[in-house]
Amino acid sequence: MSRHLRFISRTVMVQDLNVEQAYKTLTRLLTQDGIIETVKLKRYYEKPCRERQRRSFETCRRIYSTEMGRKMTFISRKTREDPWLGC
Amino acid sequence: MYKLNCILVSSVSTVCRQLAASVNASGSSLCGGTALQRTVCSSAVRLQEAASSTEARKTSSKDFSIFPPMPGYDSSLRWGGRKFEELPIVHVKATYNNTHIQLTESGGQSLVRTSCGTEGFKNIKKSTPVAAQTAGISAAAKASEKGVTFVRVVIKGIGPGRWSAIQGLTMGGLHVVSITDNTPVPHNGCRPRKARRT
Repeated sequence: MSRHLRFISRTVMVQDLNVEQAYKTLTRLLTQDGIIETVKLKRYYEKPCRERQRRSFETCRRIYSTEMGRKMTFISRKTREDPWLGC
Repeated sequence: MYKLNCILVSSVSTVCRQLAASVNASGSSLCGGTALQRTVCSSAVRLQEAASSTEARKTSSKDFSIFPPMPGYDSSLRWGGRKFEELPIVHVKATYNNTHIQLTESGGQSLVRTSCGTEGFKNIKKSTPVAAQTAGISAAAKASEKGVTFVRVVIKGIGPGRWSAIQGLTMGGLHVVSITDNTPVPHNGCRPRKARRT
């Protein structure tokens, strides 16, 4: 019935009765792999036009946030040689 | 197609992590292991190096890995005298309206079955984490009467009772050994219902 071996993927062992840490690790791995997001998206059907809009929005947001991050790291650099040396 | 690739990449990354873990555990030294790790995907390398460095910092005597013991390989880990494959399983089905908890043997025979409804909650109160916690506590109590201590947990679905059910099991006295996520992810199978407009 189940086509895959059980208890191999998406499994986290619990260390020293620390169930909370194991659950947090599991959710972190799942979000990194994009499974939680997929499950939330597939709860209701997403029409192809809405899907295209969402993809373009995510692309634009990704470009904007990376550029803004680069700008902020550039501006917040403090250890530079003095440009006005000697004045 | 894009989503298929995502799921493929995720499965490949988890498999790569496990391969890297098995390679590391097979006794190769750290400098020898890094040469092998360069051939494996980068996320596995980052996770493995972080895991090995934190383990070296914490305790060198404990070699704990978050990965479960593979069914083909022998591992010395035993819980209550049983191997990992023989431990009973707690299935937690966390839907948006309710939470079901069923304890079964490793073969599949059902021992204990509780849900928010059997605990006396009705309608909207069933879809709360508190109800899931009470269901977990009662399931753990019934399981302790039958003599079950060590247990693996399998979660299905994302709902309000996902975490609080496991919390209830721990509060009730069961010893959770591992947590598995078995949420059904369709590779674009059945068409779900139409989008809600509220």
